Amino acid sequence: MGREFKDKVREQFGRTADDYVRNRGFAATDDLVATERLLQPSSEDILLDVACGGGHTALYFAPKVRSVVASDLTMQMLKKAQEFVSEEGKVENVTFREADAEDLPFPAGAFTLLTCRIAPHHFPDVPRALREFYRVLRRGGRMVVIDTLLPDDPEIANFYQTMEKMRDPTHVQAFTRQQWVAMTEQAGFIVQSTQQFPKTHDFQEWARRAGLNREGIQRLNHYFMQAPAKVHDFFQIETFAGEVESYTDTKLLIYATRPDKK
Amino acid sequence: MGISRELLEILACPKCKGEVVLRADGAAILCHACQLAYPIRDDIPVMLIDEAEKIGEE
Repeated sequence: MGREFKDKVREQFGRTADDYVRNRGFAATDDLVATERLLQPSSEDILLDVACGGGHTALYFAPKVRSVVASDLTMQMLKKAQEFVSEEGKVENVTFREADAEDLPFPAGAFTLLTCRIAPHHFPDVPRALREFYRVLRRGGRMVVIDTLLPDDPEIANFYQTMEKMRDPTHVQAFTRQQWVAMTEQAGFIVQSTQQFPKTHDFQEWARRAGLNREGIQRLNHYFMQAPAKVHDFFQIETFAGEVESYTDTKLLIYATRPDKK
Repeated sequence: MGISRELLEILACPKCKGEVVLRADGAAILCHACQLAYPIRDDIPVMLIDEAEKIGEE
């Protein structure tokens, strides 16, 4: 997948940038607190936040490190994030770059820390992005990647992939824990640990944030309602009078380091 | 707000990963090896290979 797909991602997130920036769900949550505990940021660290979205991760870490570079494929998102960081923050050590996670514009070993939060499911080539993450991290550098977890059960996984694509055509693919560990190790990293975090989504708000119209939301609601019982159990789908009210998926956190020596 | 020297040091050409320099007018970032000019929009460098222009044609 090339330029055409990436244009689609830009279009999608350009249109919905404001809602992502204002979304409280992306602000300080359990996964960010866990990320901080694992990465142990210090005033010596230079952090790269890849696919920064609304800038929540960049803003969270800015006061704890020397500097943050936040990159995203979508200019509108970067502008909103820049506004958000200057409104919320009083931080002056965050800079923004429009960049593709698979072709990062940074020299080798430029960063000591790297984060990438709830974004890789939009990447056409995750192994390539991970090789780039490895390249731009210094030896001994620490990385946390967080993304939506693909369930192990094939039927539940199929429901998950289908409904995510119905909601947002720029959703490429989520991966299982085992797949994530294998890809991360293949890129050269040492996987130190993984953690999982349940995340409950208000169905209407979640569907609208992706820019779905009424018909789109109805189709998605129908798809949820028709799903087998085991899917309903797995995602703890809450319904009322034929309408989905909420569901809960899982975010996977991968903590990995670049080895100290070759 | 310009692009400072320190920030240029943590920037590279996304294509060849080599050194980049700020154009004299401050409005683009140049990779002489690839002969590409990366535009700067609203103080944000657009470091995308697809968005870059050939030096001399930008």
